[in-house]
Amino acid sequence: MHIPDGYLSPSTCAALAAAAAPFWYVALQRVKSALHTRLIPLISLFAAFSFVVMMFNLPLPGGTTGHAVGMGVAAIVLGPWASILAISIALTIQAVLFGDGGITAIGANCFNMAIVGSLVGYATYRLIAWRAALSSARRVAAAGLAGYTAINVAALCAAIEFGVQPLLFRDASGAPLYAPYPLRIAIPAMMLGHLTLAGLAELVISSGMVAYLQRTDPELLRLTAPDAPPSGELVRPANNGMRLPTPRKLWLGLAALLILTPLGILAAGSAWGEWSARDFADPQVRREIAAASRNLAPPPAAPRGLARLSSIWTAPLSRYAPPFIRSASFGYLVSAMVGVGLVIMLALLFIWLLALGTPAAGRRRRKGFVEKTARGLLAATGQAVFAEDMAAASGFLQRLDPRVKLAGIGALIVAAVAVHRLWVLAGILALGVVLALVSHVPIRLLTARVWLAVLAFTGAVALPAIFLTPGAAIWRVPLLDWPVTQQGLRSAGFLIMRGETAATLSMLLILTTHWTRLLRALRYFRAPVAIVAILGMTYRYMFLFLATARDMFESRESRIVGVLEPADRRRLAAASAGVLLGKTLQVSGEVHMAMMARGFRGEIRLLDELQMRPNDWLRLTAFVGAATLAVWLGR
Amino acid sequence: MTELAFDVRDVSYRYNHVAALNSLSMQVRRGERVALLGANGSGKSTLLRLLAGLCFPESGEISFCGESLTEPRLQDEQFFFGFRRRVGLVFQNADVQLFSPSVFDELAFGPLQLRWPARQVRERVEEVLRAMDIAHLRDRAPHRLSGGEKKRVALASVLVLDPEVLLLDEPSGALDPSSQARIVDFLVSCGNGAKTVIIATHDLDTLEDIADRCCIFANGRVVGEGTPLEILHDVALLERARLIRPHGHVHAQGEGGVQPHPHVHRGEGD
Repeated sequence: MHIPDGYLSPSTCAALAAAAAPFWYVALQRVKSALHTRLIPLISLFAAFSFVVMMFNLPLPGGTTGHAVGMGVAAIVLGPWASILAISIALTIQAVLFGDGGITAIGANCFNMAIVGSLVGYATYRLIAWRAALSSARRVAAAGLAGYTAINVAALCAAIEFGVQPLLFRDASGAPLYAPYPLRIAIPAMMLGHLTLAGLAELVISSGMVAYLQRTDPELLRLTAPDAPPSGELVRPANNGMRLPTPRKLWLGLAALLILTPLGILAAGSAWGEWSARDFADPQVRREIAAASRNLAPPPAAPRGLARLSSIWTAPLSRYAPPFIRSASFGYLVSAMVGVGLVIMLALLFIWLLALGTPAAGRRRRKGFVEKTARGLLAATGQAVFAEDMAAASGFLQRLDPRVKLAGIGALIVAAVAVHRLWVLAGILALGVVLALVSHVPIRLLTARVWLAVLAFTGAVALPAIFLTPGAAIWRVPLLDWPVTQQGLRSAGFLIMRGETAATLSMLLILTTHWTRLLRALRYFRAPVAIVAILGMTYRYMFLFLATARDMFESRESRIVGVLEPADRRRLAAASAGVLLGKTLQVSGEVHMAMMARGFRGEIRLLDELQMRPNDWLRLTAFVGAATLAVWLGR
Repeated sequence: MTELAFDVRDVSYRYNHVAALNSLSMQVRRGERVALLGANGSGKSTLLRLLAGLCFPESGEISFCGESLTEPRLQDEQFFFGFRRRVGLVFQNADVQLFSPSVFDELAFGPLQLRWPARQVRERVEEVLRAMDIAHLRDRAPHRLSGGEKKRVALASVLVLDPEVLLLDEPSGALDPSSQARIVDFLVSCGNGAKTVIIATHDLDTLEDIADRCCIFANGRVVGEGTPLEILHDVALLERARLIRPHGHVHAQGEGGVQPHPHVHRGEGD
């Protein structure tokens, strides 16, 4: 769900950042004008909280685990506008400090998850909860659905953004420059995972957390439930323990949600690159294709590979519409559901086979998720501490003014995403390696944490593009007769090279920057004071919550004897998130008092950093010059 | 001009429907060092927050230097800044107090909110960093500080404004002996009457050094008052306030002999 660098074109990123800007502006104004000066610490701590919750492993049906973004909870507790800020801050910190999600794609990721996610989650929650009492079970269900809907609509946005890339951005040979898959592939591929696993994770977290708040501090739900009847002091929720769906209910809920999903309706009409083999024979469609392809006539017959591939994949449900159903949208829907069912069954079969082979491994996995989460939390702290030590060492990048570094490396990343030639990309990557060497960043570290990791992830994404991208076949896979197209190879090359280059540069930025100094320096760029303050506070409390969550999981792990049932594991994860939420709210209240005690009256003041020196300008010019040269060479 | 720093009259306060203070009255003179003693949950922290003008009593009245301390009064910018400048509160939880990304930013926060000019802020922060012996932590992030360092930075972040009144919530709780001694040394140095100090604590060992007067808290009210020496010898009072409890232990029979300390032995006599 976190879009990395290189999957979206710079213009798409710019457009989405521009689309996000008015929402950020309104959100900031709302927060500023809100009488609650408490919102600044609350948003900061909530951002830190959602950062940590994104690291929780949630056990899901079928032995898999998933992560939640937490936008449903944020929207329900903070309201949509403050939630937009909190999730945006969390996503920014993830991208800039942990390399999770691209730096050029921050606008896109914020648009999808923070803005669309918060608004959809909030609307769903208000609509379903309506005027139910604060302690009613209906609010728990509404929260679960809000989280589920929010993440799925956000994923759909991301899928559409991916899907339009090959329509709009191709090099001279017709090879897609960014995400290579058209809407028809991008949408089902993204949605399968989100309608099932990721959606469930969000559902479990959202509903579990509202259930927790109902028991501990129901008035916190009041902000987004103005119509709820006032709750007397003595009204306690009927449920004593945290009520979480049993596996059977989860499955039933999933089925219901799939029925409600208007997935297929979006994919009507043929877009560029999405023709079926039959379209090549239809004169009317041929004219349309030619017009859309700058009057390049399509080949007289469908490429042999495309015909063969499409017959493999679409034979049982041709054109996604079973012949016995007339309505195309309805047919698409049924196809989607059959697809989801098939994928789940395959996954279950696979897991069952695994468990069959190693009976002991299955047992260990059941207990291991607590340990896994604790390990992940520890690793995040360790990674940040390692980066801080690295930033304190001597080296070329370490000596640079943090503003110069952020702007300079940012310019190189933008160049890496913008260029249309592979050799220029290789040149930028080489520049990154040189920068690493003069900054004493170990190449072994880059190999393990960047190059191999990106190759594994982006490589898996890019591999099918080699066969699926239409173009001139240069080789055929023996036996299967799948065509390897020249355009497909180039497209996969672009995706992997961009991913590697941007990730290398991001890692250099992460490892050599003193973040506290950078945060102060941000004021030089006229960043709003409130944002700089929230960023700083989020960064600070992220570590407190990482430690708290780790302690929580470790102490629980030490008390777990034997095998936990899946429902128990889910309850444990949601309860931990709930305890962390309680801590978040308590600490944010106290932090607000601590700020007030030292003179805070709602308008925060920060010390502006000193001016840039001539030398800093010189270095910045060198960086921007290199980036501009790369864009010009690679145009 | 009044000699009283704080005058608390008949104050009650409830937190989440639970009474935290129960028509409590007490007075603190200027330049006095007062220790608030009491078990966990006896209302010490709540009183400190009321004295710092962060919460307001449900009934009763608190005045600071003769001026009534109410919510509308603190809305007045002039009074707010004057009050914040003169009264500093160090929270019990240093993680709550240290909300800035670095130690330098933490110390600069207070002066900046009170609209000091940037130059003066920088100079004053550097001065306090040196005075508190934390200059080497200048650019450190709070999550890279030890517990003792956190407490010292938290104290420095309040001292940077040089307040006349210091409210301290368990300043030496959960610290190693060396860190504890540093804090105590500082509190001893406040004994010349220049600062009014109110300390919430349940540490009886250092009481004589850090306080001129003690107030014993139980169930949200003051149940006893006196000099540290008087209080330490009132075993019945200490036991009633749950500050000591009868327990068995063995006295060392070394050269130094038995250290005098207040406690109750049951059964076998002393």
